[in-house]
Amino acid sequence: MFDPEIIRSHFPFFSHHPELVYFANAATTQKPASVIRGIAGFYEKENTNVHRGLYKLAANTSQKYEQVRQKVADYIGAEKKENIVFTSGTTAGINLVAQSFLAPRLQPGDEVVISIMEHHANFIPWQQLCKNKKANLRIVPINKKGELDISAFKKTISQKTKMVAAVHVSNSLGTINPIKEIIDISHKKNIPVLIDGAQSAAHFDIDVNKLDADFFVFSGHKMYGPTGIGILYGKEEFLINMQPAVFGGDAIKDVRIEETIFADPPKKFEPGTQNIAGVIGLGLAIGFLNKINKKEARIYLNKLTEYATDELKKINGLEIIGRAKNKSALVSFIFENIHPHDMATFLGAENIAVRAGNHCTQPLMDFLKIPGTVRASFSVYNTFAEVDRMVGAVRETEAFFR
Amino acid sequence: MNEELKKLYKTVILKHDKTPFNFEKKEGATYRVQAYNEICGDRFELFFEIKNGIIEDMSFYGFGCAISKASTSVLVKKINGQPIAEAKKIIELFLKNIISKNKNTEIKDEEMTAFSAAKDFPGRQKCATLAWDEMKKMVNVE
Repeated sequence: MFDPEIIRSHFPFFSHHPELVYFANAATTQKPASVIRGIAGFYEKENTNVHRGLYKLAANTSQKYEQVRQKVADYIGAEKKENIVFTSGTTAGINLVAQSFLAPRLQPGDEVVISIMEHHANFIPWQQLCKNKKANLRIVPINKKGELDISAFKKTISQKTKMVAAVHVSNSLGTINPIKEIIDISHKKNIPVLIDGAQSAAHFDIDVNKLDADFFVFSGHKMYGPTGIGILYGKEEFLINMQPAVFGGDAIKDVRIEETIFADPPKKFEPGTQNIAGVIGLGLAIGFLNKINKKEARIYLNKLTEYATDELKKINGLEIIGRAKNKSALVSFIFENIHPHDMATFLGAENIAVRAGNHCTQPLMDFLKIPGTVRASFSVYNTFAEVDRMVGAVRETEAFFR
Repeated sequence: MNEELKKLYKTVILKHDKTPFNFEKKEGATYRVQAYNEICGDRFELFFEIKNGIIEDMSFYGFGCAISKASTSVLVKKINGQPIAEAKKIIELFLKNIISKNKNTEIKDEEMTAFSAAKDFPGRQKCATLAWDEMKKMVNVE
């Protein structure tokens, strides 16, 4: 039986902040004790650098590091651990694909297709690359509910399209995009697809093989892991042919004055000393997630989100932004007469942590003609009682501003 | 509800948020000053004339939170019709009062002091000083 209170007891953060309602999970999730202690334990007892250490401690660290790679591969259904590149996060993963994969293939007049709901991290790298290459960035719109317009997407992609990049779950609207359909449609025209899984990696069952995703990127810190660690999954045939964008030690086979031969992937994309403690922490976060029944978690989070939505909707003047049929565990809302930052400050003063603003999706906010939203995003340790507290505070604030 | 916060908003901010002073876009104005906060996207523009060293016909337009809108509104109200030298003094006084830890008892004008509590709330001080900071740069050049 899924019990948020039991899950909550694994998170030391909440014993330090018993009064806090933490609804900023789309920004970053809290970390279970296993992750926190594992990272501290690594630094206390095992701290050594990976690879080429000819003593036992270093060999153990290398082994652990590579075991996490396998764990990540298993977690997302990748064929091999060599498909898994450690990055500093989703942003770094997308930039790597833009620079190393797409840049050499992109010609003037070519097109990159993304959606209007992309996070800046999945927007700016393509925008800037297109500018540099005199290529065109094409944007697929959404309907009134905040769902991707699939028929517009079909019309937008063409022989000119060299890349499609789409978010799995929108961090502003909560929309769950039909990524399998997006990939299938794109592959019919031989267009590679990158999926931004930052918001989906924690609670969705990801199977990159079944999806046939070419690239899949996500971050550790939004799935109960540490900050500064992320994953780029790439198909082998692509990773092999990609030049690294960042150069340095350990990512090479052979270095001569005239020439360097790079290591095989994934190592060639991991130059310099990596975030080893971050990798260890990510492995522990996946261990934590593997103990949660994800289907039950999603059912619970859906109920929580539906409840929050229904209760918020009863408040005078409140408008829900993002009403997709398939929606994840967040609710964005606005008031005509109350700026999101004012609402968030009032909620903050009541010990309710929400995010407010454009959520790094400024083009989406411009498209919706709003300055931003208040966003409450839920996780497995949140409760109905917490939703009640937020709804009460929103109602009081609305009355104050009336 | 948080009493400090209610106090901050209730005195001046809600009034100016709902009925801002000279809230009007003037495309033809000789002087236009942009006040933009890239952190939150608040964006206001100040419009005015300077005749014989006096700031005149000042208005503002734009979008932002209640604090930034009200503080911009108060700015327009306080310096419209003032000589530049006087405007400088008013701006200095306002900004000093917001930044300093001690309550400035010299200022009796509630509209000038209402915003000082903003610094007690995370990330909100800039909302109170946004337009004032930009206007300060402008009058220091003139």
